[in-house]
Amino acid sequence: MAKWGMVIDLDKCTGCQACTTACSMENNTLPGESWQDVLFYHEGEYPSAQMKWLPRPCMQCENPSCVHVCPTRATYKDPDAGGIVFVDWNKCIGCKYCMIACPYGVRFYADEKPLIEPDVREAFPGENGQLWSPPYQNPEEDWRRGIGIQPPGVVSKCTFCYHKVKHAPEGVADLDEDNPAVKEYVPACVRTCAPKARYFGDLDNPESQVNQLIGDKHGVRLKDHTGNRPQVYYLGAGAAVPAFTPADRENDA
Amino acid sequence: MSANTQPNALQGKLGSLLLLVASLVFLASLGYGVVQLATQGHTSFNTSSTLPWGQPIATYLYFALASSGLGLIASLPLVFGFKQYYPIAKRCIFLAFIVLISGMAVLALELGNVFRMLWAIPLNLQIQSAMFWMGVFYALDLLFLLWKFSKLQNGEWDSKTSKQVGIASFIGVLLASGNLALIFGMMSMRPFWFDALLPIYFYFTGVTSGVAALVFFVYLAYGFQRERMPRALQSLLTGALPKLFAALIGGTLLFIAARAITGLYSNNPEISLVWTDYLFASPLYNLSLIVGLLVPFALMLGAQWRSRMDIQVLVACLVFLGLFAERFYFVVGGQVVPLFQGTWVPNLISYTPSATEWALTIAGWSLFFVLYLLGEKFLDLGDMPKQLADSPQAAAQPAGT
Repeated sequence: MAKWGMVIDLDKCTGCQACTTACSMENNTLPGESWQDVLFYHEGEYPSAQMKWLPRPCMQCENPSCVHVCPTRATYKDPDAGGIVFVDWNKCIGCKYCMIACPYGVRFYADEKPLIEPDVREAFPGENGQLWSPPYQNPEEDWRRGIGIQPPGVVSKCTFCYHKVKHAPEGVADLDEDNPAVKEYVPACVRTCAPKARYFGDLDNPESQVNQLIGDKHGVRLKDHTGNRPQVYYLGAGAAVPAFTPADRENDA
Repeated sequence: MSANTQPNALQGKLGSLLLLVASLVFLASLGYGVVQLATQGHTSFNTSSTLPWGQPIATYLYFALASSGLGLIASLPLVFGFKQYYPIAKRCIFLAFIVLISGMAVLALELGNVFRMLWAIPLNLQIQSAMFWMGVFYALDLLFLLWKFSKLQNGEWDSKTSKQVGIASFIGVLLASGNLALIFGMMSMRPFWFDALLPIYFYFTGVTSGVAALVFFVYLAYGFQRERMPRALQSLLTGALPKLFAALIGGTLLFIAARAITGLYSNNPEISLVWTDYLFASPLYNLSLIVGLLVPFALMLGAQWRSRMDIQVLVACLVFLGLFAERFYFVVGGQVVPLFQGTWVPNLISYTPSATEWALTIAGWSLFFVLYLLGEKFLDLGDMPKQLADSPQAAAQPAGT
């Protein structure tokens, strides 16, 4: 079985957030429930100020702290699904401990105050146990893997678009949107990326493009000191996230 | 009522009146909270995906640790032979039991799918999760507290089984609250909480809040009239207990000071900024430190003052509230620094509890009161071994004699 991994080249990423939009449409997430978000930073001052941005999906860690803390095994790492970390919505009790334990902030509890008004959940009230039920929905709902629209009171997260990836032919090294044979199996954020800053493939296959990029272009993992060992790698400048500084003191240093 | 105890102020009309008031407050706050949750779900909370644990978790933590504190105080006479503490042992065990029930009730209303927990935790046996062990240890804790209480209710103070259940209860308390500390203390990705010695901090501050609750409720039981109390209880309240209380408040201040100093010194903004920009920047936190702990400590330093009933009751109330604030700021403080400094969260995450979250907290407090008043009414909580009630001097002797 493959070990699915993602490579994001920050030198090519333009911060356009098409990935965020594609993810939200593919997975029917609510405003603010951005399984794939792009974070923006700025450092320094004019004339040498720098602006950085960082696309942030779930890192699908090899050693995921969210999985260790879940008291019901609702969140689990599935080696038979390429090592993707899922949330079983039939088991999640909504304790939110995984959200505390995730160093990357990529888990969401959508049963919260709406980010924008009017509340889209009121426009499309939930049916059949769903938190909300918009007219278009991803037809491949799978609550055991946290795919589709969640019921109230559970945690949701990026699934590497497993509902697409799972149809990929056995043994394929890379899921490249430019390859017509596999393009339908490529995660939405990768497929939509206009500057082709994202790559998706098998980290266990030394011949895969993702492994070659990591090797050739010095791929790094975010917050590697946490020991979580993400399956998402970043290339290029900009993967160093500046430490938090309150907005009113950004220019003090 | 057993012949060992004096008439209890709460067994008469006063108790019934307080019970009525507490029940009304409980029903009103619970009703409001449940209706809000049923109609709006957790959107009625002010927590968010960036700050998922709010005041209901802090309330649970506060109650659970007060319960552990009370359990540990009860172990002084029941496990370690400090006989002068016998007059409060039964009340401690009872209070420990009901405050834990109240905390668990609040936690149940905080969870997304509470009933699922009943099968999903035992059937999946995720032994890597501290929260799994929290379920195991607090269930055992509750069981042993109840068992111990039933022994005391039957007048079995010193039987072999009673002693063994007492020891089991003591160990249960240590495991439960120590493990509760690890739920926070093992989170290295939340540096404000990450602390190998957090269980010790929780034991200590838990005992402080437990003594605060105990002092208040003991006086309430006797209508704030010391002369109505049994002699052995009077000598405890003018002797060993206020000294212990003073030492506990002082120790709590030391713990907070140690955490604050290491936190402020640290270059890591996820720790230092919590102290500079959240805790010490908050007038309410400073007020809770000064009025909830420093002033009570100063009041309890003088031997004359600390044996006065009015001072003890005042200090108990202040410390009880002060430590509630301490738990709140501990829980929220671990989450206020956003994990990534993103465009979306340019500052510390702000959080103020919503009306529903307050309703759950008030429901917890009032449930605690209701259960307490029922206990005083029907369970003879002031009972103690007969030889102590007959001869209070025996209790005043040093421990182990």
